[in-house]
Amino acid sequence: MTLGEGVQLVTFVVLSAMAIGFALGVVWAPSIVYSGFLLGGVFLSMAGLYLLLNADFVAAAQVLIYVGAVNVLILFAIMLVNRRYTFAPLKLGWLRNGVTAVVCLGLFALLTAMALNTPWQLEPIQPTSSVLVMGGHFFREYLLPFELASVLLLMALIGAIVLARREFVIPQAGEGDLSLLERARPQLESESERQAELVSTR
Amino acid sequence: MFVLSGYEYLLVFLILCSLLPVLALGASALLAPKRRGSLRRSTYESGMEPFGQAWIQFNIRYYMFALVFVIFDVETVFLYPWAVAFHRLGLLAFVEALIFIAILVVGLVYAWRKGALEWS
Repeated sequence: MTLGEGVQLVTFVVLSAMAIGFALGVVWAPSIVYSGFLLGGVFLSMAGLYLLLNADFVAAAQVLIYVGAVNVLILFAIMLVNRRYTFAPLKLGWLRNGVTAVVCLGLFALLTAMALNTPWQLEPIQPTSSVLVMGGHFFREYLLPFELASVLLLMALIGAIVLARREFVIPQAGEGDLSLLERARPQLESESERQAELVSTR
Repeated sequence: MFVLSGYEYLLVFLILCSLLPVLALGASALLAPKRRGSLRRSTYESGMEPFGQAWIQFNIRYYMFALVFVIFDVETVFLYPWAVAFHRLGLLAFVEALIFIAILVVGLVYAWRKGALEWS
């Protein structure tokens, strides 16, 4: 027994609405921690959409890697940075917003045109789960890439530990070396004033 | 066209899961006595008194654990098709998966020896 057409349509609409809603929440959330948690919602909705496209392995990988690992890493990175600043408004902020809007709308138009113009080839669907097929391929013709993947993971693990332990000194770049986009935004008020304000409001 | 079978149970499960907190909180809001007091506003009614702000800097150690976890999470994704197709793969695939795990155990031993898994 599989899902009927109507159920599929309703599920697709609900999942799409969830993905768009969570994505808007990521952008509009007042705190970056909320954005991090809402990003997990976006990833989960994407996993559901993959499942609707019969890609069960991609859906499982999405839940395991993106929701389970990447989102946790993002949240830990957020929690490592404890300060909350209030930033001064950027100069020419409207110009930046305008350029971003133009680029995003252009990308959206491009993707829409591509989706409409592509002759989607509906192949005869294989009745088995893609995980079984993938497992068979992994241990026959793609055996060497499979074993090399473990070496790659080993390199990533050791590299991450070496970087995180800071066993070597990273040359500190001066303030003048930073380009426009890398420079920290000016703060509206200094940290000590903010602390004093926090104490006084209690 | 959806062809994978067995996912209607997942759908029902998800619907029940999302209904459960709504029903629990709704029933609690309906049935709980409406009393206002200073004790009611405390975080843990008969627990420890929380102090300081919730927004604090977390220890870098958590990040190390998360990094190691990401690697072994990806390993799990690679082993998942092997586990599902295990009964039709045979002994050779079992040995190959053991080699795969053995290479990653080297990384785990390295992390262990370097103290990435310890609290200091």
